[in-house]
Amino acid sequence: MLTYIIRRLLLLLFVLFGVSILIFGILMTFSPERRAAAYVTTPQQAKDIPRLIQQFGLDDPFYIQYFRWIKEVSRGNMGWSLVAARPVREAFWRYLPVTLEMNLFAAPIVIVFGIWLGTISGIHRDTYIDHVTRIFAIVGWSLPTFLFALVLLMVFYGYFHLFTPGVISDQVTMFILDNPEKFTRFTGMYTIDGILNGRLDITLDALGHLVLPVLTYVIVVVALNMRVMRSGIIEELSKDYIITARAKGADKRTIHIKHARRNALLPVVTVAGQLLAMSMEGSIAVEVVFTRQGIGWWLAESATQLDMPVLMCICLFMGVVFVVTNLTLDILYAYIDPRIRLT
Amino acid sequence: MKRVRIIVCVCFLFLLFVGGVHGAVKNPNTFVLANYGNLRTLDPCVAYDVTSSQRLWNIYEPLIFFDGSHTDKFKPILATEVPSLENGGISPDGKTYTFTIRKGVKFQEGGDLTPEDVVYSFKRNMIADPDGGPMWMVLEALTGEGSTRDRDGKIIDGIFDTIDKCIEAKGDKVIFHLPKPYPPLMGILNYSSSVILDKEWAISKGCWDGNIKNAAKYNNPAPGHEPLLKITNGSGPYWMKAWEPNKEFIFERFEGYWGPKPRLKNAIVKYVKEWSTRKLMLQNGDADRVRVDIQYVPEVKAMKGLTLYEVPLLSVTAAFFCQKINPTGNPNIGSGKLDGNGIPSEFFSDINVRKAFLHAFDRETYKKDVFNGLVIMPTSPNVEGLAFHKDVPVYEFDLEKSKEYIKKAWGGKVWEKGFKMIITHNTGNEMREAAALILAENIMSLNPKFRIEVRNVEWKDYLVKYRQFMYPVFLIGWGADYADPHNFIYTFMHSRGVYGRYMAYRNEEVDRLCEAGIQIIDPKERKKIYHRLQDLWYTEAIAVPLYQQIVVRAYRDWVKGYMPNAMLTDASEMLMDIWKE
Repeated sequence: MLTYIIRRLLLLLFVLFGVSILIFGILMTFSPERRAAAYVTTPQQAKDIPRLIQQFGLDDPFYIQYFRWIKEVSRGNMGWSLVAARPVREAFWRYLPVTLEMNLFAAPIVIVFGIWLGTISGIHRDTYIDHVTRIFAIVGWSLPTFLFALVLLMVFYGYFHLFTPGVISDQVTMFILDNPEKFTRFTGMYTIDGILNGRLDITLDALGHLVLPVLTYVIVVVALNMRVMRSGIIEELSKDYIITARAKGADKRTIHIKHARRNALLPVVTVAGQLLAMSMEGSIAVEVVFTRQGIGWWLAESATQLDMPVLMCICLFMGVVFVVTNLTLDILYAYIDPRIRLT
Repeated sequence: MKRVRIIVCVCFLFLLFVGGVHGAVKNPNTFVLANYGNLRTLDPCVAYDVTSSQRLWNIYEPLIFFDGSHTDKFKPILATEVPSLENGGISPDGKTYTFTIRKGVKFQEGGDLTPEDVVYSFKRNMIADPDGGPMWMVLEALTGEGSTRDRDGKIIDGIFDTIDKCIEAKGDKVIFHLPKPYPPLMGILNYSSSVILDKEWAISKGCWDGNIKNAAKYNNPAPGHEPLLKITNGSGPYWMKAWEPNKEFIFERFEGYWGPKPRLKNAIVKYVKEWSTRKLMLQNGDADRVRVDIQYVPEVKAMKGLTLYEVPLLSVTAAFFCQKINPTGNPNIGSGKLDGNGIPSEFFSDINVRKAFLHAFDRETYKKDVFNGLVIMPTSPNVEGLAFHKDVPVYEFDLEKSKEYIKKAWGGKVWEKGFKMIITHNTGNEMREAAALILAENIMSLNPKFRIEVRNVEWKDYLVKYRQFMYPVFLIGWGADYADPHNFIYTFMHSRGVYGRYMAYRNEEVDRLCEAGIQIIDPKERKKIYHRLQDLWYTEAIAVPLYQQIVVRAYRDWVKGYMPNAMLTDASEMLMDIWKE
């Protein structure tokens, strides 16, 4: 298995090379003027576009610009983010914890809740429990995230004045700024850092700000997981070995949980893994509506402003995430289904 | 089951109770503004947008600043008096300005303000002069050049020596020497690029070392490499406590401020892009003011507990006719010929075409339907609020007259053959889209052979393409850099102005008057010149003036002290003026 993992990790280099060429190529389809315009916001500044092209060598041939970029990246310089007003690398480590923090809470709920709902729906096929969960799934999956986030915000924050948007409250922000010696940002995730600093109030404050984003994300995403699980359970329950187990007098719980669910998990692991990987670029709508400046928000802003270094960085990051996720999934398959051998 | 019901009811009542608690002043010492402007830098020589200016104006201070709501009257800040012809601060020939510098002013990191700091600040900012920055204004006034570099990016010979000589300190005074009179200088000195730095501190942070021989080394820093990008040390009423780009910017009162003590201890500017979120923050009192885009004005007008201010801005948007369209691979002009399937490159060089379009624009409907009446319909680029403004006649909406003119155009060929073209506007700007649609539909109603399509283009592409003469009609606006007619009239009408050039419009008289207007200090003479130029705007039918925007600033009613000023846009907030009670 170790050889397999090393081989897959080496493959990562080729994936990153391919991704970088592809994204760079796509961005090069924009004219030098258009790329220089990223540094310009007003008509007053537009007069300097030709000089900006010259300054950054934006009219050089593709390969020169690409190798210039590679050279800088190999030195650890990912470039400057116009959107974040700081180096890309520095900005990345600031935005990533915000997205990670949401996933940290949303992902387990999505997986556990999806498996649970899918299981009971599959077991109680064509009963009212099944109908209710299926309707829930269809509604959840069809809901535009942006709209659903707004509805939650209006109900909870607008009417009940609960769950303020943002990452932490102003009071906590001011406390941290006034007392830098009393609060260290170990991970950049306030829920975790609050515990590590012995400040449960900060953890609770951060959790309060996570309720609506996590709820939105879970309800929208859990449906897919649930549907896959339900199909798997239904399929497994109709197989011969289940009939044999029933004939041998095995109790329902053992049949459903030990036999059917375990075998139905394989496709769910695939789907959950892909969902997790995708969630690493953040849910753009959730981050925009709830004012959480994470990777998704950064990506959206950078795409609209053609902040090239950021687009390159996030695409490469996503390449790494998908390769690593797929590798993890392969290892998980082998664990769930011992018939699978990794060579 | 019964227990569950009881718990649900209790929770519901609790939420109702929690939801009902509001109305009191939240955080009386902290002002929260929810906005969406992108702050890119805190270096005064680079910052050239309203968001950056807002931060800089509260942290640093200029020599003079707008007096209340006036855009052409000033109050002394770091100067002790506003120079004028009457008090001798401005020489009779308009080429020397003398400022006496205030004593006892401390910078936030402890340094004392001296006249040498003032001299250094101006020189340092002019020497740096980054591409896309604001320094062209001061450079044009003090050196006669709009940049330290030529069109090829090479440093202009002798420019740094000129900079070195144009400003000097004598005792407690600072003297500006201008190569020629430049009436807008006083307005330019209000801009955030004219704020004063602490010389020793700036040098210690990597700014120009004070030696003019080394100036070239500090010229045109690349974006992100300006030394004062994310650090500040001003003499203003607030200092920067924290800045998380695109998240929040936190001000704290500077306790050593030389002037009256600011009433607010803190201010937080939050980046909130989504309108619904901003609105709810305002409603819940978590924000004391939010940015309100024009389409959301009816919503804030319906909200309770707010104080609204309607502030006309010194800005104007127009639809410009390009008189020499680029025909190379240009889909916007169809066949490029007057054959019914396109327009020729010089289509708009015929004044009859321009007049036909002007008469086809329904100003009243536009004002009522698009702005709910909350707009000023300009008659020329010299909008209300600028000196020497006058209401010139406009081409009233009249489709019969429009038809008359279009029949005359191009010897009757336009009417006979018809034409096809595309009008573009920048994506997401509903005001410009509506204007383009009104123009297109009314012109098409004149003759079934007239075909105009309206398309949207992303803003950055738009900025590039109009400069390549790709658009037959381009809709674009201009916000004041300083409150002087020159900033608008030259831009819109001169053959080398930012828009005049890309309309390919040229008129000898207009060019001559635009150049004369900036070199005369006698207000009576200037008035004559700018009145004549505004008349020419009408007779020459240069473009369709569309709108002068009025912004609505929505404050919670516990915020007091706001003073509207047409030069301070929606992004601005002068924290010194406001308080909560």
